[in-house]
Amino acid sequence: MDKINRRKFIKSAGLAGGALSLAGVAGAGYSAGADKDSFTGYGRTAYGEDQFFNRKPFLVDKPTYVQEGEPVRITSIEDIFKRNGELSRLMFSRNGDQPAWKPSDGLDALPGYLRAYYQANPGAFDEFIKAMQKGREQRTNWDKYRDKYFIADAWSNAHSSPIRGRSSFPAEPQGKPEESDFRGVNKKRLKLKSPRHGSELLKKICYSFGASLAGIAKVKKEWVYQGSLRGIGRVDYEVPSHWKYAVVIAVPHEWDSMYANPTYGTSYDAYSKLRFIAGKMEVFIKELGYSARPHVPPTSYDLVMPPLAIDAGMGEQGRNGILITPELGANTRLAAITTDMPLEPDKPIDIGVSKFCKKCRICAEECPGGAISFKDTPGEVIRGYRRWKIDQNKCFTVWNSVATSHARGCRVCLSVCPYSRKNNWIHNFAREADPRDPTGLLASGLLAMQKKFFTYPGGQEYLPPPDGNNRTFGEAPGWLRTEEWFDL
Amino acid sequence: MFNNSNILEPLFWIIMGGLYTVFIIGLAMWLKDMKVKMNWWKWSLTLLWFILLSITVAGGFTLIGENELRAGLLFMAVPGAVIIVAGVALGRFLLRNTNEEKDN
Ligand code: SF4
Ligand code: SF4
Repeated sequence: MDKINRRKFIKSAGLAGGALSLAGVAGAGYSAGADKDSFTGYGRTAYGEDQFFNRKPFLVDKPTYVQEGEPVRITSIEDIFKRNGELSRLMFSRNGDQPAWKPSDGLDALPGYLRAYYQANPGAFDEFIKAMQKGREQRTNWDKYRDKYFIADAWSNAHSSPIRGRSSFPAEPQGKPEESDFRGVNKKRLKLKSPRHGSELLKKICYSFGASLAGIAKVKKEWVYQGSLRGIGRVDYEVPSHWKYAVVIAVPHEWDSMYANPTYGTSYDAYSKLRFIAGKMEVFIKELGYSARPHVPPTSYDLVMPPLAIDAGMGEQGRNGILITPELGANTRLAAITTDMPLEPDKPIDIGVSKFCKKCRICAEECPGGAISFKDTPGEVIRGYRRWKIDQNKCFTVWNSVATSHARGCRVCLSVCPYSRKNNWIHNFAREADPRDPTGLLASGLLAMQKKFFTYPGGQEYLPPPDGNNRTFGEAPGWLRTEEWFDL
Repeated sequence: MFNNSNILEPLFWIIMGGLYTVFIIGLAMWLKDMKVKMNWWKWSLTLLWFILLSITVAGGFTLIGENELRAGLLFMAVPGAVIIVAGVALGRFLLRNTNEEKDN
């Protein structure tokens, strides 16, 4: 009898154990998903642990961008921010002078170099005028949305405060690079053991300053802007010979606010962090006795960042034009420090982003401005490289349209990208397994689940009424929601 | 489960290990009483099925924890349905052998 009872008891306990262990994995799963510490970056480690993806199996000799023809340097006027910088200098008077140009003066009244750009890019000027118009509506409508996004706006403004004006850090270079990049360089240099030691040391210091990712690239001249140089102004110039290597660093935006783009997120959180890290790296490298020049967001760059970061083995370019890294996905913001310190460059990687983007298109479907290509393959050869290209002008119109106090960005294409996910077991399975699957079946399965299981508001929905409903991709976190803290 | 506690987290996994052990011992008794003859590959299939079920439940709840309720429920419903069907098929297969033995 006793034996039968004991047997019955063990059998019942076995059933209960099975059920409880399933409840246990449910609880463990829930907690892995809810855990804020599984968001990568944001200063959680000073020792490089955020760069957790083992790149070794995916190192390649050639980067995954495709060269077709002779590479050409990008002229600064082709970059929307540098172009808009030139326009705003003309449109907004300094010292009470009359503005040199206003949109109603038309294209013909613009200086030759700007006119040439717009003539070579039909539609871009009209899109700029539309963006200006949308910007006026945005400022007028802000009264309607101010209370709802009160904290988000304050949070963004606080992040942008170290970027504005003369006291920004790092200071803008003054004078020729041959002078400014060497200003303050320690005359006493110690003998570096090897370039590999140099690279390892600088990466460790980047991490200690708060970088999530760090890589080293050789500077290719085609990544250096032409037509304008910080510290000098508008000028055509040869790439300075001391810009030998670039230390490239990346940090993410704060994740919960990033998922709540476009209205709750900001670009300035990552920008201000990058500026502090790059500025401190400039000082550190100069202390070691070598030249250094930081290239930092939002616009203080003399080099184009994504291809440089690809060369530095940090990731690959996505359909949305952004660098996609295994750790941060599209939530990757970049800065760099050019130097003549002897360094060993990293190798580029191939984790299958270019292949995945050909199938995915989520960012193109969600972009409120229709700025991202739907084509099957990168359709254009741009300055000697076949790659994805976004329509910067349409993108900028969206910046001026969403319900924010001013054109402070959209970033929906960062939020919706399936690569922008937490460092937890389920996403790490996808991170590790997908690039190892030569058949591409896993990628197709994951993508099908992504599209069928997850909720995407759809492009126009991110815009304010009447075009959309001010939707965000993810729900805004409580700490950014005004109604949680103030009586409305 | 208790990510920020370095006491409760290992304790949780020790208890989970205990639960799995009790489950496997109990299951072995059930199968023996039902006259199911098990060998290494039958055990492997059975445990693989339970692991897949556990992963599906864990995956669904991970997505729910990430505030993706719909994705989490669908993750459990779609692969979960396949796993349940596979489980029923596996159970029938294991029991069919015993029925055949009984008939003989
Ligand atoms: S930032 Fe917004 S508008 Fe610009 S490309 Fe990305 S999704 Fe489109
Ligand atoms: S959303 Fe899809 S297509 Fe767009 S960058 Fe990410 S993976 Fe590529």
